[in-house]
Amino acid sequence: MEDRIAAYLAGKLAGAEEVRVSHLYRIPGGASRETWMFKATWREGGERRANEFILRKDPPASLLESNRETEYAYYRAFANSKVPVPAMRWIEHDASHLDGSFFIMDRIGEIESNTRRLQEPAWDAARPNIARHMYEILAAIHAFDWRTPALLEVSEAPEPGECWKRELDTWEAVVDANELSPQPIVRAGIRWLRRNPPPPPPRVTVVHGDYRVGNILYHRDGTIRAVVDWEMAHLGDPIEDLAWGFMKDWEWARDGRKGGIIAERDAIATYEAASGTAVDRDALRWWSVFSNVKAQGIWLTGTKSFQEGRTDELILPMVSYTLINAEDEALLESLGRAG
Amino acid sequence: MKPDAGRVLNGVAISLMTKVAPEVRTPFGQQLAGLSAVLLRVVATEFDRMADRLSVENGAVAAILADAAAIVPDTALAERAREAAAANTSPDLRVSTLQGINDRLRAILVDVHAAIEETPGEGARAMEERIWEELRESTRRRHVEARI
Repeated sequence: MEDRIAAYLAGKLAGAEEVRVSHLYRIPGGASRETWMFKATWREGGERRANEFILRKDPPASLLESNRETEYAYYRAFANSKVPVPAMRWIEHDASHLDGSFFIMDRIGEIESNTRRLQEPAWDAARPNIARHMYEILAAIHAFDWRTPALLEVSEAPEPGECWKRELDTWEAVVDANELSPQPIVRAGIRWLRRNPPPPPPRVTVVHGDYRVGNILYHRDGTIRAVVDWEMAHLGDPIEDLAWGFMKDWEWARDGRKGGIIAERDAIATYEAASGTAVDRDALRWWSVFSNVKAQGIWLTGTKSFQEGRTDELILPMVSYTLINAEDEALLESLGRAG
Repeated sequence: MKPDAGRVLNGVAISLMTKVAPEVRTPFGQQLAGLSAVLLRVVATEFDRMADRLSVENGAVAAILADAAAIVPDTALAERAREAAAANTSPDLRVSTLQGINDRLRAILVDVHAAIEETPGEGARAMEERIWEELRESTRRRHVEARI
């Protein structure tokens, strides 16, 4: 694979000669796309050059059938903004280069992304700052002016009152298409969501769609250096992002702290101060129930992909055996039916 | 057959963790070995309990459907519920057979639950609570300790 990446880069790096790729490793995680890091060296204008890159490649099947064009557009849109993102280099749709479409971005050095490492005592001093920064960045994502041709090309802007319905329709269709066995708890959740629509948001914003500890790259100095995994980004109700990050699924410390790093009330207070917008608790409740349904749609998609033999990624049956039932338990709790 | 399947799967899991993973060169490979080990342990648990879980659950859902048939106003749905409850007999104890019955019963449970939610009266409310209790119990039956 190193030689194939080098051949691709040779055609992309203007004036580059003797392109070589080394230190190619697949990064653990990345259940929806294969994520690889590598180092490239080349000669340009008589000088040796080097850079480290991240390659995100479409797998044969995954947890989520998402649109790489959309993810790439959001990364590009947030470049040089208050929301830190890695610099995008190239997107490639021709699958012949690496047996699948992919995009390449610059690698950010000296960062961590491991969700459990952040719970370790060595991170006690940095953790509160990372938590605060995380919700300040979320406010910046939601303040971003999305009325640009690049984003409107990949995302349709709903009316404020339609945000909930569009997302629910989307994810109910995902459940419909991917459940291999009936899902009585998810179906009850969907009925509750349709009976109890949330108040419309004051304005439509960019929604990251997977904003949580796990998709932030953090530094020991307490700053967040990048927000990644924009594959579910869209335009909609900003409360969707808050509710998603508050899910039990991401309570890595198992002590009720969201993402294992911050109490919900503190996260909301930080977000409200940074955004200047009060969080509507009825909307938050609705999007919390929705988040469980959406997550179940993702887990069911991965289960079907594996069961039908379209992928042999072992993370997918692990998800099937553990997260689907855990999500049902969480959904019962969100619905006030945990007993 | 001894050693039983659970012991074999757990033995493979231990070998993966203690003998294979330390020899693997990359973080991705090490994670894959660890994940494989945990997955084998989860499958070992499921292997032992799955037929029992399905059999117990099929009986519980069939009983609910039989009683709910008297409450749901939709006569066609009531008839489907009665027929499904009566058909809860398995020609064998293969997991695939029991799972097929479970899928049919729980599909009708979804429709019955939706109908009961819209049906007024104390009988419907009591049935609704009984369905929720079965759904809670269904998660207890499937609970596994391993998390990723």
